Amino acid sequence: MDRREFVKTALQAALTTMAWGALPVVDLAALPTASGVETTLALRKGTDIPRLVHDALQALGGMSGVVRRGDVVVVKPNIGWDRTPELAANTHPLVVRSVVEQCLEAGAGKVLVFDNTCNDARRCYVQSGIQGALDSLGSDRVRLEHIDRRAFQEVDIKGGVALQRWPFYRPALEADRFINVPVAKHHSISRLTLGLKNMMGVIGGNRGVLHRHIDESLADINSVVHSDLTVIDATRMLMANGPQGGRLEDVQQANTLIASTDIVAADSCAATLFGLKPTDLPMLATAARRGLGVADLSRVRQV
Amino acid sequence: MKPVVFSTRFWRRAVQILCLSGFLWLFLQTEYRGHDSLPYPVSLLFRIDPLAALAAALAPGAFAWKILWPALVVLGLTALFGRFFCGWICPLGTTLDGCGKLCGRSKRRLGPGWRRSKYYLLLFMTVSAAAGVQLLGLFDPLSLFLRSLTLSLYPAFNLLANNTFDYLYDHRWPVVAPMADAVYPFSRDYLLAFHPPGFLLALLTLLIFVAILVLELVERRFWCRNLCPLGALLGLSARFATLRRQPAGACPDCRKCGTHCRTDAFGETGGGDQECVRCWDCREYCPDGRARFVWQVPRRGGAGIDLTRRGVLGSLALGALAAPVAATTPDMTRRNPFLLRPPGAVAEEEFLRRCIRCGECMKVCIGRALHPAFDEAGAVGLWSPLLVPRIGYCEYNCTLCGQVCPTGAIRLLSLVEKQRTVIGLAVIDRNRCLPYAAAEECLVCEEHCPTGKKAIVFTPANFPTRDGRPLKLPQVIKELCIGCGICETKCPLEGQSAILVVNEGETRRPRQLWS
Repeated sequence: MDRREFVKTALQAALTTMAWGALPVVDLAALPTASGVETTLALRKGTDIPRLVHDALQALGGMSGVVRRGDVVVVKPNIGWDRTPELAANTHPLVVRSVVEQCLEAGAGKVLVFDNTCNDARRCYVQSGIQGALDSLGSDRVRLEHIDRRAFQEVDIKGGVALQRWPFYRPALEADRFINVPVAKHHSISRLTLGLKNMMGVIGGNRGVLHRHIDESLADINSVVHSDLTVIDATRMLMANGPQGGRLEDVQQANTLIASTDIVAADSCAATLFGLKPTDLPMLATAARRGLGVADLSRVRQV
Repeated sequence: MKPVVFSTRFWRRAVQILCLSGFLWLFLQTEYRGHDSLPYPVSLLFRIDPLAALAAALAPGAFAWKILWPALVVLGLTALFGRFFCGWICPLGTTLDGCGKLCGRSKRRLGPGWRRSKYYLLLFMTVSAAAGVQLLGLFDPLSLFLRSLTLSLYPAFNLLANNTFDYLYDHRWPVVAPMADAVYPFSRDYLLAFHPPGFLLALLTLLIFVAILVLELVERRFWCRNLCPLGALLGLSARFATLRRQPAGACPDCRKCGTHCRTDAFGETGGGDQECVRCWDCREYCPDGRARFVWQVPRRGGAGIDLTRRGVLGSLALGALAAPVAATTPDMTRRNPFLLRPPGAVAEEEFLRRCIRCGECMKVCIGRALHPAFDEAGAVGLWSPLLVPRIGYCEYNCTLCGQVCPTGAIRLLSLVEKQRTVIGLAVIDRNRCLPYAAAEECLVCEEHCPTGKKAIVFTPANFPTRDGRPLKLPQVIKELCIGCGICETKCPLEGQSAILVVNEGETRRPRQLWS
């Protein structure tokens, strides 16, 4: 390659990147429709977490049904709080590691793990145990990185009800596959925080104001970034003083894992673990009405 | 020709640059990097600072031998070798030498009267500190250096670097942008702060730092010769130095010392061994090689410092007067309810007497909560650390400020102690808080409240939201709130938060005032 050619290629690459950056593309048509396709869900109980993850995913047809060879996959756990794993404020590090391992086995080209944390991000990544768990994989295809504040991008939300425009984290928008790995826990306004709420971690901006219209806001956010797979960690559940907890007496061992390609179905099923009906949580009804999934568990087949 | 490598000037410069780099490296390590305890003694600069030790010794309470013993070693070494610290180690001295070299410096000599001011300043501040008003930190060159670095220079460096990286991230200039991408991870991980820093008083701090550099145009090492109280303290110790220069003054047939000596120690009107910073340049510029440093038993009573009786008595009297006058100022903690101190801070009076305004706690604070006071803590509280919750909050599981404080103004707390230490109390402004004032749902303060049993709880309102949903009202439980301020930081309202932390009930307050 001579110099002229090099400069030309570099300029072309730069222009292409700029062009892409300028056009936020949200393909609402690509969202799955609730009707027609049968919704399946796997619920498994056990204390061996890697096995639990493996079994639940196997029941859904294996990770290879979600992740194709070479895909850039985002695995989005809840790493929001400066709390250790036993306090159940963040997704269990073994759940995260096992899901990431499954992605690697399915041939993912790159697995990105991140969260837009509430406490100091460095402390959250370390204290949650997730940094250590992913480091132990020793794979250069796995990237646990802190949020790069430069990479937020304003997105026009077509059909947005509470939000018309909001900054989203570009790696979440650009990923080939998005796997949502929330922890099931108590929350004082939305009662529970599950998969739909975990998506607060892919957005920027003044997130606090969203709580004024939390149900519609969550539906808006989830309509922009679609979760191809939702794996809910209910190995232990924070029953009170959520979402960050801090007391062992508020934590209940549930040894349960829920997985589904339908985020609303997964959340609805997780609600029952807390003794609630999906109809008790307005965010689920809103999400179902907005076509994000099935909240009616009688229409969901457990596998 | 003498090979350059072996000249003392080369070695001195090498040591100066090494020390400066070492202190800068420690400065960069003054940051959370994945360990609850800092792995390096990042506040080393102040542990070897005799002025910090003096401030701590004059404050009420026990002297922190464990932390400050290196300062006494420096003082002892000065009694042997003279003010080597100023010539070889002091980062401000090195900065002044470097800037003078790069930007030019004055060849003028001010009269010998000028250099006495630093002794008067030291005397004044020592007496005043003993009597209750500690100002040593304001003039401590090491505090001044680190404070300027923390509050002004490093934030500006971060801003410039981040803006450059941001620009090249958004504008993919060929060649340059990929290069920026390549160095970005290293810069992000090792050079730049995790959270872009920004502090109150950044401009004032910078102005003073620049003024001291500019004084180099008035006289070489103006600060060190005439103002530096640490130089004065070391000078007093150096009077008895056993390593002394020969000849003790300028030779009658040669006036080079008068024009070349950076502190005018050995000119015609030279101050002698206590002014000499042991840079050893005279060994090189002396045409006959007469200037040498030899071991000698000091004269009885040491070398004289030509202070005037009037000056000494005047500075002592001023020092003794400053404290009672300042003590008559009405209690600041009552006048300013937002006067919050970091967790582990000792009671306000002792705190002001211990804190040497070094800025280490502000540098290390991972919540960006600590900022220097201007007059919020009264006139004598200038540059002391304030917790400003609207800017940043105290991270619940962090104890770093107590780990870096070199004088025990912020005590080192265990995590359990720290989580029980009350910094203040959050109070809700019902006129602005969304559920109260606008019947809108909001939970941000409650969600972020970090105490295991939350200090902010909800009670059902007897009125619904405007779209008819049940509404919950946040309330603070006084017994559980530790005043970390995360609620005030995260309150989604614009401008002032609807929940404010006041200094009510803080643990450090003496019991008789808090009943």
